[in-house]
Amino acid sequence: MTDQEPRRPRRWPLPLALVLLVLAGSCLLVLGDRAEAQAEANRALTDGQTTAEVVGDVGNALGRIFSYTPADTAATAKAADALLDGPAAAQYRSLFAQVKQQVADQKLTLTTRVVRAGVTELSGEQAKLLVFLDQTSQREGKAASTAAAQLSVTARRTGGHWRITELKAR
Amino acid sequence: MSPREDLAAAEAEAAAGTLPPGGRLAELAAVRALLATVDQAAPARQPESQPEPEPEPQPQREPESQPEPVVVGPRSGRRLLGWAALVLAAGYCLLAAGWYWQARSADDLAYGRARDAVLAQGRTALTALNTVDAGEAETGLRDWLAVTTGPLHEQLQRTGTADATTLRQAGTSAHGTVTDAAVTELDTRAGTARLIATVSVDLTPKAGSASTDRKRFEAGLARTADGWKVTSLTAVPVGAS
Repeated sequence: MTDQEPRRPRRWPLPLALVLLVLAGSCLLVLGDRAEAQAEANRALTDGQTTAEVVGDVGNALGRIFSYTPADTAATAKAADALLDGPAAAQYRSLFAQVKQQVADQKLTLTTRVVRAGVTELSGEQAKLLVFLDQTSQREGKAASTAAAQLSVTARRTGGHWRITELKAR
Repeated sequence: MSPREDLAAAEAEAAAGTLPPGGRLAELAAVRALLATVDQAAPARQPESQPEPEPEPQPQREPESQPEPVVVGPRSGRRLLGWAALVLAAGYCLLAAGWYWQARSADDLAYGRARDAVLAQGRTALTALNTVDAGEAETGLRDWLAVTTGPLHEQLQRTGTADATTLRQAGTSAHGTVTDAAVTELDTRAGTARLIATVSVDLTPKAGSASTDRKRFEAGLARTADGWKVTSLTAVPVGAS
């Protein structure tokens, strides 16, 4: 009896401490995992290199597909095939088909330049951007005029390069 | 009655003085000494009588093992195991805490959260700055002051009253909607950020038909105790560098 009395209160704390420690540890693991998932969910700006890369690729692509000369619309169409994908490709094809004749008839030259660009979302192989553009158009023999254009762009990385999959005018 | 109880009674008698103390007490001392020697001899006698009852209670107390020192063995072993488990659990908890702390305090997470805060608060601010009800120009002005800080805040304070009068006289109400926005720069140490946004502004004049204006803005923001606020706002013009 005298032997068991001091031992009895000690019988619970050990298993209890074990359960609490394992429980607390598991909770911390889950929370840590969630924090990391949150950081991974959107790497816009946090991953500076990829952010710069997608801004560069998308800016270049927009500059090429929205620039043409009456003499060489074929080059623009070819570039679009390589730089666009998905809905954006279909959208561009139908638009370009309409413009092509006009370009040839009116001797229209269009030059597009990226003024500002920012990445809103960057996760895995997909990115969303907002791009401000200046588009300078010129009819042969007439003064050039410049207009502002804003696009929300969705891009997807395939084969180390970012291709535009969706375009929406803002 | 045992010889010892006899002795105690005799001692009590002697102490009470019913017998001449001297000789009687000496005699009692002699008896006590004798009893002491008998006590010492006793263990030698006990093994003869005890071996029979002992084998029975022993297996009941501790089925797996035998003599005293070994009986303590598994009990202390179990306790050792418990402590080992506790140490392991504590180690696991400590590792988990370390992992959690590392994940939580990771630069990317804090930076990402700041970016999200800039974007959300920047959008709210730009909506406010593109919205004004001509009838309640003062309220509009107060909203503008609430979302700005630094140079833009000071400028609005300086020209505010005049602006409100102009707005009331013009009678055109504006309602802005941020259609898209992106953070382009963020310096969490300096507490500064840049944001670009496209805003669609619905204009409702006092007379005439409503119209929608599409604008593109670049805003500078600064971190204040009250969140991120706009320090500069410029409509990005055509031909901007």
